[in-house]
Amino acid sequence: MADKPIVIRTKPPLWTRVKAQKFLLLMLLPGVVWYVLFKYLPLFGLSLGFTDYGFRAKVSFVGLENFQRLLSSSIFWNAFRNTLIISLANIVFYFPAPLIVALMINELRSLKTKRFIQFLIYIPYFFSWVVVGSIFVNLLSPSSGLVNNIITRFGGDPIYFMASTRFFRPVLVSSYIWRQMGYGAVIYVASLTTVQPELYEAATIDGAGHWGRLWHVTLPGIRSTIVTMLLLNLSHVLLIFEQVLVMYNAAVYDVADVLQTYVFREGVLAGDLGYSIAVGMFTSIVSLTLVLSTNKISARFLDEPIL
Amino acid sequence: MSTTTTTSIRETRGRKVFRVANTLILVFICLIFIIPIWNVLITSVAKDIDVMGTDYLLVPRSFTLQNYWRVLNSGYMGAFKNSLFVAFFGTALSMLITVPMGFSLAQKHLIGRSILMKAIVFTMVFDAGIMPFYIVVRSLGLINSMGAIIFPVALSTFNLIIIKNYMASIPVSLIESATLDGCNDVTILLKIVLPLSVSIIAAVTLFYFVSYWNRYFEVIMFINDSRKYTLQVVLRSLMFESDESLGGGQYVYNNLKMAVMVLGMLPVLIIYPFVQRHFVSGLMLGGVKG
Repeated sequence: MADKPIVIRTKPPLWTRVKAQKFLLLMLLPGVVWYVLFKYLPLFGLSLGFTDYGFRAKVSFVGLENFQRLLSSSIFWNAFRNTLIISLANIVFYFPAPLIVALMINELRSLKTKRFIQFLIYIPYFFSWVVVGSIFVNLLSPSSGLVNNIITRFGGDPIYFMASTRFFRPVLVSSYIWRQMGYGAVIYVASLTTVQPELYEAATIDGAGHWGRLWHVTLPGIRSTIVTMLLLNLSHVLLIFEQVLVMYNAAVYDVADVLQTYVFREGVLAGDLGYSIAVGMFTSIVSLTLVLSTNKISARFLDEPIL
Repeated sequence: MSTTTTTSIRETRGRKVFRVANTLILVFICLIFIIPIWNVLITSVAKDIDVMGTDYLLVPRSFTLQNYWRVLNSGYMGAFKNSLFVAFFGTALSMLITVPMGFSLAQKHLIGRSILMKAIVFTMVFDAGIMPFYIVVRSLGLINSMGAIIFPVALSTFNLIIIKNYMASIPVSLIESATLDGCNDVTILLKIVLPLSVSIIAAVTLFYFVSYWNRYFEVIMFINDSRKYTLQVVLRSLMFESDESLGGGQYVYNNLKMAVMVLGMLPVLIIYPFVQRHFVSGLMLGGVKG
């Protein structure tokens, strides 16, 4: 014990290693600069949410004033309510859709057909929101849209979907499903192929029918994919932005204005930077809380923390 | 999934009904995805006379490339060129940053590798939001320059991780023997790793290209000068601001609108059939977890 421990140097000194890796480090440099500039610098910018930055030349610290302001703003609460309603609708209607379609595709016997359907429904995922929104404008047009053509064929009056406070949210949710479903379905189909065939055989021998196998073998087999997809959805459900920005218009502000579009209008268009950063921060924190608590729940009930 | 003979005999009838219903529903779902895209394509090549009525075209009635001719000789050409500019130079820049960084991060002995990876993944979990991002871009003096729609989005963590994971799967022995032969890290990347990663690099290039082509909100956030607008921005105002249900301005025939729309989705339509396989394998490689 009294002896000095013998130090065995497994690695050469740092400077020698840096010299040996100079090319590797140089290759890293542009990317690291990018991350610092566009991902980490903005994090420091969050502190401006506690200031009156934006209108005056001299920026002063205002503490929680911006947050008090947002809590008493009716436009903020309206945007918050809309965000929650649209998010909830997206989770309820969008989340199960790719899973169900993937299970249906999985029932097909021909590999070619399986591939073809995936190929087809995955296309819209690569279209911009502008293109997807335009496709819906075209589809729902009161004069020449397919949907209104069908409605008038059956004697109804054409509906102005894009300008209707009643129909705008359903339009948002359906276009969301139309664009994103293929992506989820492709992931689920790939995940379904990893379920071991022996499990199906064992379940059949144990007397499980078709639905029994689905419930006791298939779904548990892709459980971790389902939870991952749920977390992924939750992590951006409150941050819904570009889709609304593209598709909304003055006629539906009341039902379509979400937190992110509110931030965008207050910040970029009106120049109230400090306040809009505070609203953005509020959104990010609520969103992060949602994801972390779901992760915790999934860790407890499924023994499977994803993050 | 394979059903054993005993059960399939017992369940024949119910299974058959189920299978037919399943197929029919899937056909219906496919139609929901095909029809709107098909309509855009055939309307964009229809003559004026065929889009004057109130019909939603389901079968082509005429074929003319005149609409494209008219669009490309109008103000839309400028926006189309801007989109091409951004997509080409943006993709080139992105690849120049992403590939060396991915290669570097794939080397297990890299100094500070695990801290860097943590710092990178953290940016996927927590994002500062729109406004701090806007303020950084503004203080860099990028507002109203084409750089504003390239530099701030030049790197995608998702693509970086796809490349890093792929390059990390290349056998270390190959790299070690090259080192013994006197190669340095740059020559290893160029001579050994790149030739082995052609397919993943092609896929990431196309990911980047499509993402630049599709950008909308960064353009309207950072660009005020309408001469610098990209195709997505002008397509949006064409489709949404002159839509009759919104009480918009002058009337534009649908065939012209759809021709602009086809230009707006052009890269996807051209590229997608060839690389769809990679889009899937890329997703798997990157892992949903990132």
